[in-house]
Order: sequence, then C-alpha cells, then structure tokens
Amino acid sequence: MKVNAKYVNPFIEAAMRVVTQIAGIEVRRGHLSYKSKVEPSFGVSIIVGIYGYLVGQVVYSLDTNLATRLVDKLLTGKSPQEKNILFVDTLGEVANMITGNATGLLNQRKDCALKITTPAIATGERLSINLVPKPALVLGLYTQYGPIEISIAVEEQETLDEMAAQDFVLREA
Amino acid sequence: MPKRIMIVDDANFMRMIVKDTLVPQGFEICGEAANGEEAVKLYQKLKPDLVTMDITMKQKNGLEAAQEILAKDPQARIVMVTALGQEKMLMDSLAIGVKDFVVKPFEAHRIISAVQKALA
Repeated sequence: MKVNAKYVNPFIEAAMRVVTQIAGIEVRRGHLSYKSKVEPSFGVSIIVGIYGYLVGQVVYSLDTNLATRLVDKLLTGKSPQEKNILFVDTLGEVANMITGNATGLLNQRKDCALKITTPAIATGERLSINLVPKPALVLGLYTQYGPIEISIAVEEQETLDEMAAQDFVLREA
Repeated sequence: MPKRIMIVDDANFMRMIVKDTLVPQGFEICGEAANGEEAVKLYQKLKPDLVTMDITMKQKNGLEAAQEILAKDPQARIVMVTALGQEKMLMDSLAIGVKDFVVKPFEAHRIISAVQKALA
C-alpha cells in the first residue's frame, strides 16, 4: 500500500482551520514523515475511519496538555465535572470536524461521497493500539500548548474495472 | 409561542453548542437525540417545528433518518448540520427534501439564519 501525499494537504488545512476557528488556538505546520504502521506518540488518540472511493484510517494523537486546554477552551463556563464528563465526547467531535472538513476538500467528485466513521478515542500514556498494520504519512502540527500528530493511512479503493485491468477478475469455478 | 427545535447529534458537545446558539434567539429545544433511530422515534412523539440533524452517527445515519422522517411527514423541516461538507452530501440531502445544509464548525449566524429561513 502506498499513501499518496496529495491526501495530506486537506488534513493540514482542515486541522488548522477547525482548531483555530473553534478554540482560537493557532496551529503551525510541522514536518511530514512516513511510518510503516500507525503508532500514536502522545497521550490522547482519536481514530476515525474513512470509506468510499478512499478507504483507511486517520489517527489524531494529541499531547494530554493540549487536549485538556482544547476542552477547557471549548467548554468555557462549564464546571470541572462537566468538562471531565464531556472530555472524550468533545475531542471526538473535534476529530470528526477535522476529518469531515478534510473529506470536503479531498472529494471534489459529484458522483460519490466519502463517508467517515464515528470517532474512537483512547487515552493514557504508553498507549498501544492495535490497528490494521498499514503504512501512514505522519504529519506534525504544533500549537502553543503542545503538538498534534495526524497519521493518515488511506488508499484508493480499486474499482472492479481497475481490478479487471490488472487481471484480478474472479473467475467462475 | 417559541418554535420547537429537536437536535440530533451523537456528540453531546455539539448538541450543547446548537442549543446554546438557538435558545438565546428565542427557540425552544423540545428534544435531543443521539442517533438516527432515536431521532425517528422522537420526531413522531414530539412533532417539532424543525430538526437539526447530524449525518455521521451510529444506529442509522442522519440522511437515512431524515429520509424516514420526511417519508412519514413530508412537511417536516430538517436542517443538516454536519462536518461532511461534500457536494454529493449536499445534493443528496436537498434531493430528499432537507431545507438547508450547515457545515461544522459553523459561525452562530449561519445556523440561526438556516433555521429562521427553514421556518419562514
């Protein structure tokens, strides 16, 4: 599987736009790297699946301090208990908005839509998540409260025509 | 009498944002649902003046729920509020009879005007 670099820019643009708009936190672009499988680096990880003519997963990994600051800003005026209860839900919605906005930038097609799954969230240091072991392009983003790492492991779904062209046609037994 | 709004979104956070945006404008939030299945049932029970509907949800997505609500009540007023800002999603939504399509994150005036127009 090869992850095409053209899929990265929509996620950068969407992450910068969403985080700045909803939380007023400035996001700076960092470096891009390649990993043979997704391994989240920080304490809070949010996984969103993409399906349609592209399939795969996007994993957002945030520094715990940044995640806390983000929730604090988004839930201004709420009690510490409410913030605690809504912590996972709020971060999941942020990931949902970034991924959804990125699919809007990625998909200019009028004939088909890209869909996303509801986010799954894991928190804790030394986190190990068993994902389908696919290579990913990993994008670093920086804020004044800590880094965000976005691992993008998506590939184009082969159509039946493309499979036929590659002689992968299922033959009658 | 205030117009009665039902909010459908799987994220509690987003339901809170929509509520905090619409209530100061004089709307009443008569109910909330966290997925499409709940939304269809609650719509029948509450008969709200308008529904704000997320798309990506477990147990029936927002497009399916909107379609089901509109099949039973063609006069239903539904505004999609979703992060999936794709043209295909917009076209599909309008094709089934949804009134408007608001992309998250939204500025307050965008959802207020969508709701006001849909209710006009």
